[in-house]
Amino acid sequence: MFVLSVLKDKIPIHPSRFGVPPEQALINEINKKYANRVLHDVGLCVCVFDIAEAGEGKIRYGDGFLWYTVIFRMTVFRPFPSEVILAKVKSSDQDGIQLSVGFFDDMHVPLIYLPQPSAFDPNERAHFWLPGSEAASAHELLDSPVSERMYIDQGEIMRVRVEMDEFYDDEPGPPKATEGVQVQREARRPPYTITCSIAEQGLGPITWWKSAQAEAMDEG
Amino acid sequence: MEVINSRASLLSNYEVLTLLRDLESDYIAKSKTSVRIKKEEDAAGPSAPKAYDPLEDISENLRTMEVEAIQYLSAEYQPMRAQMPAGITMLVKSLAPYGLNKSEKLQIVNLAPTEPVELYVIVEELEDRLGEKLEDVLTSVRTSLAKEPAAAQQPVSVVAEMEVYQEQVYDEDGQWEQDANDVEFVDAGEGAGIEGDLDVDDE
Repeated sequence: MFVLSVLKDKIPIHPSRFGVPPEQALINEINKKYANRVLHDVGLCVCVFDIAEAGEGKIRYGDGFLWYTVIFRMTVFRPFPSEVILAKVKSSDQDGIQLSVGFFDDMHVPLIYLPQPSAFDPNERAHFWLPGSEAASAHELLDSPVSERMYIDQGEIMRVRVEMDEFYDDEPGPPKATEGVQVQREARRPPYTITCSIAEQGLGPITWWKSAQAEAMDEG
Repeated sequence: MEVINSRASLLSNYEVLTLLRDLESDYIAKSKTSVRIKKEEDAAGPSAPKAYDPLEDISENLRTMEVEAIQYLSAEYQPMRAQMPAGITMLVKSLAPYGLNKSEKLQIVNLAPTEPVELYVIVEELEDRLGEKLEDVLTSVRTSLAKEPAAAQQPVSVVAEMEVYQEQVYDEDGQWEQDANDVEFVDAGEGAGIEGDLDVDDE
């Protein structure tokens, strides 16, 4: 779920921070620049793990900053494909389920990765799974007795498998205008999205499998 | 900026949690110092030179990350509450003979599966590869977890402490936090009371 990435950067230290030990000052500045930000094709930065190498601070023409070339290790959130992680259900809609791990929200389960057969119940605003049902269409599924449905409610903890992650680097670009009126730009894509799956035995809300285990015990 | 190696090594959730807790306690220590410095400055009067405030060096982003990630990693559904460094080392050693690969071991440490179905999602072709040894793996996972989550006690107190100090800190700044204003209002009330007393004395 978390990895270490080795990065190299030039970090300026403001003269007011010269009193702080250089290592601490550098870590503070790096955290300020990177923490809680997505690096393209790297992942979501959490915090500095340690500094591997730092050169002598140099003063450039024009400002009083000390510029350090630093090689450091960053703790990065980047679950690898096929990794299994725990996540909370943030919301559900016709297109799938939105997940969250607290510090990162751009995770979702699309319809194709839901356990089959399943359908979206607009009244409950939640997807449900009908294990062992023959019904194929959404209409048939919605006709099923409510007691047999296994709902994926909001706020439930799910075990999910990471299928794919994608990075988008949308340039902001100049504002568009037609006939002098500014056009509302379409919503920007999140810079880092993770696609997850629960279409497998053992995946989905953890309560499903806890209770399944208990039932199996009872039968045995 | 230059990416030298985007995936130098994998970290277990427990390691990240420990790292974040260290940062958290560091922050608490700094906010204590900050409060003390501000008090001293107030005592010295407004003309005194501004001392270095260690809190200025901590960015909002890092704080958000810290608080939210600690919250997620120490939630009750996570096994990290019951994990100990010694237990994890032992677990990894005991997993060595089963021919699991690195990512599978990492996930076993992160998720601490105690039921076959949990292990099933982590290890591919579980029956063929482990067969009868499946129970052994689950047993070693169980033994690696502390029976009484002793570690769980500590974080709770840390969080409680943090809340106390956060209140104090925002109380000093009082710029953006809504409830900080409430606290200030109470302070003003006390001050007004004292003034009132003085008035009575004058009369």
